[in-house]
Amino acid sequence: MSDLLVEARGLGKAYPKVHRSSDRLRALGRLLFSRSDAERVSVLRGVDLDVRRGESLGLIGANGAGKSTLLKLITGVLTPSSGSVQVRGHVGALLELGAGFHPEYSGRDNVAMAAALHGLDGAELRRRLPEIIAFADIGDYIDEPVKHYSSGMVVRLGFAVIASLKPDLLVTDEVLAVGDESFQKKCVRWMQDYLDGGGTLILVSHSMYHIQKLCRHACWLRDGEVAMAGDVFDVTQAYLAWHERRSAPVEASSSNAARHDVEFSVLDMSLDGQPGEQPLLQDRGSPLEVRCRIRSREGRVPAVAVGVVRADGTPVYGVSTDMDGCAPERVGPTEFSCRLVFDALPLLPGSYTVRVHPLDPEGVRVFDTMERSLTIRGATREFGLVRLAHRWIHPSDTVAP
Amino acid sequence: MAAAFLPLTLSFARRELANRFAGSLSGALWALLQPLLQLAVYALVFVHVFKARIPGADAPGYVPFLVTALWPWTAFSEALLRSTTAIQDNAALIGKVALPREVLVVAVAGTSFAVHAVGFCAILLVLRASGQAVSLWGLAPALALYVPLFALALGIAFACAAIQVFVRDLVQLLGQILPLLMFGAPIFYDRASLPVRVQGLLDLNPFTAYADAFRALLLGHGTLDGMRLGIAVAVALAALVFGRWLFRRLDPHFEDFL
Repeated sequence: MSDLLVEARGLGKAYPKVHRSSDRLRALGRLLFSRSDAERVSVLRGVDLDVRRGESLGLIGANGAGKSTLLKLITGVLTPSSGSVQVRGHVGALLELGAGFHPEYSGRDNVAMAAALHGLDGAELRRRLPEIIAFADIGDYIDEPVKHYSSGMVVRLGFAVIASLKPDLLVTDEVLAVGDESFQKKCVRWMQDYLDGGGTLILVSHSMYHIQKLCRHACWLRDGEVAMAGDVFDVTQAYLAWHERRSAPVEASSSNAARHDVEFSVLDMSLDGQPGEQPLLQDRGSPLEVRCRIRSREGRVPAVAVGVVRADGTPVYGVSTDMDGCAPERVGPTEFSCRLVFDALPLLPGSYTVRVHPLDPEGVRVFDTMERSLTIRGATREFGLVRLAHRWIHPSDTVAP
Repeated sequence: MAAAFLPLTLSFARRELANRFAGSLSGALWALLQPLLQLAVYALVFVHVFKARIPGADAPGYVPFLVTALWPWTAFSEALLRSTTAIQDNAALIGKVALPREVLVVAVAGTSFAVHAVGFCAILLVLRASGQAVSLWGLAPALALYVPLFALALGIAFACAAIQVFVRDLVQLLGQILPLLMFGAPIFYDRASLPVRVQGLLDLNPFTAYADAFRALLLGHGTLDGMRLGIAVAVALAALVFGRWLFRRLDPHFEDFL
């Protein structure tokens, strides 16, 4: 069962730079008479990818990371510039919107053409046509030219064709996003059945929900290279964390020299006793201990606030010593230390930042900030930041004594 | 993929055929009507306006003389012009679906030949019925002659379709070259009506051998030259092999330039 359907080794794709029409002529000459390559823009480099039968792989990455190019290389629409890709078995591909439909022809004609492109003969097509039309569910539009379709209808029809072909490997590129809610559900249900039946799927989507629901593995492409590959939850979390970091406002961290001039400053902090700037990796629901040392210029007792924010800056929780009616412990004439323990941290998997701030004794003014990254591992499809304690009420439970 | 080649070609050919007669009331009937109307125009202009005559005692009438060479030429030149843009016109499809791209060229060139071969037969039958000395025995070998002609057209079409992807001016250029080739072949005139010095030059035109052979077979005008015909077939095969090689060589790069 574990035979390789897709095997890519050092796969790369570069497009020639073509600005003027004379470049095209020169490119033609080079292609015909020599092997040397001209200026090229590389969009994909050194991608190794294995997809086994029965596997479901999600491809994620920012726009322009090379996801579509990789799919096109796998389906054979593009020829690799370097490396190789081997695909065994029958591939059903739904690339971009339109899926190769001709706008001037009716849906029915386009279905016939798509079927011929997948090697179906006339009799086979006639047998499956009612099934395709039923799945697409676009009513009388099936006999209208495709140019009159809404984008959702095009996707419906394209997906219906692929669904009826039941390929060994299904490759789809961000098409679910176009369909309406009910069609998305239909597609997701179909894909789940398809996967349960031993089908193999490569799905490109910006919806982590779809990726996590349908895929067991994920591959994250960043600037044409594989940034991370492996278990779907690990990869999607790392990807989301990267996104959050990228969109977080860049905060100018106050310099050390300035820090020691202020009345209260953070000397150091650690998470679970781990010093340094390394992010702490933790499993969901485990305890977390935050320690810090505060310098007080005048020896006054500061208040200390500890906050947890998501990597994009969304606050999750914040608390300070004065709120809880306690104070940091004096460890020197101008030095205080403070320990805070979260017994079972309910943060959902993702990247977070833990911040420590010294405040004036009244707990009003913030003087300094020090922060450490915290990454929570784990597999879950729950949404949001924290896991809220909850239970489902079953009707049978109320009947029970 | 090879197994799907023929049905796929037929699918594309059917679409091409539908394309050509799309929106016309009588559909495929135009395939027959069009050559007949065209013939009427030529008969009017050449016979009644230009008073064209073929020299010689037992020479055929001008209209059958013209038809036997002009119709194969129309199939040939139209196949070239249409299939040169076959790849470019299907850029959207090529970018989204993996398919053997040769199919697109074969379908377009094949459709041109099919349409005009049918028209050719229809016209010959009409001429025969109107009392012209058209040999019906020659019809079968004449149709067989379409095979090497198609091979020649396909070979050139492969090369042109591939190059057109890179150099978009090719189809414009071809539109200028094809009329030159037409007048440079004995289509509107007889080889014998040229000065002897120039007659040899005609053989450089790949279509000359076909024009002569069609007339020999169907009208008994001139003799069937086995040597010339053999060379023509060899040239056609060479063109096909070269065109396909060129196409295959450039095929992996189409997507980058479309």
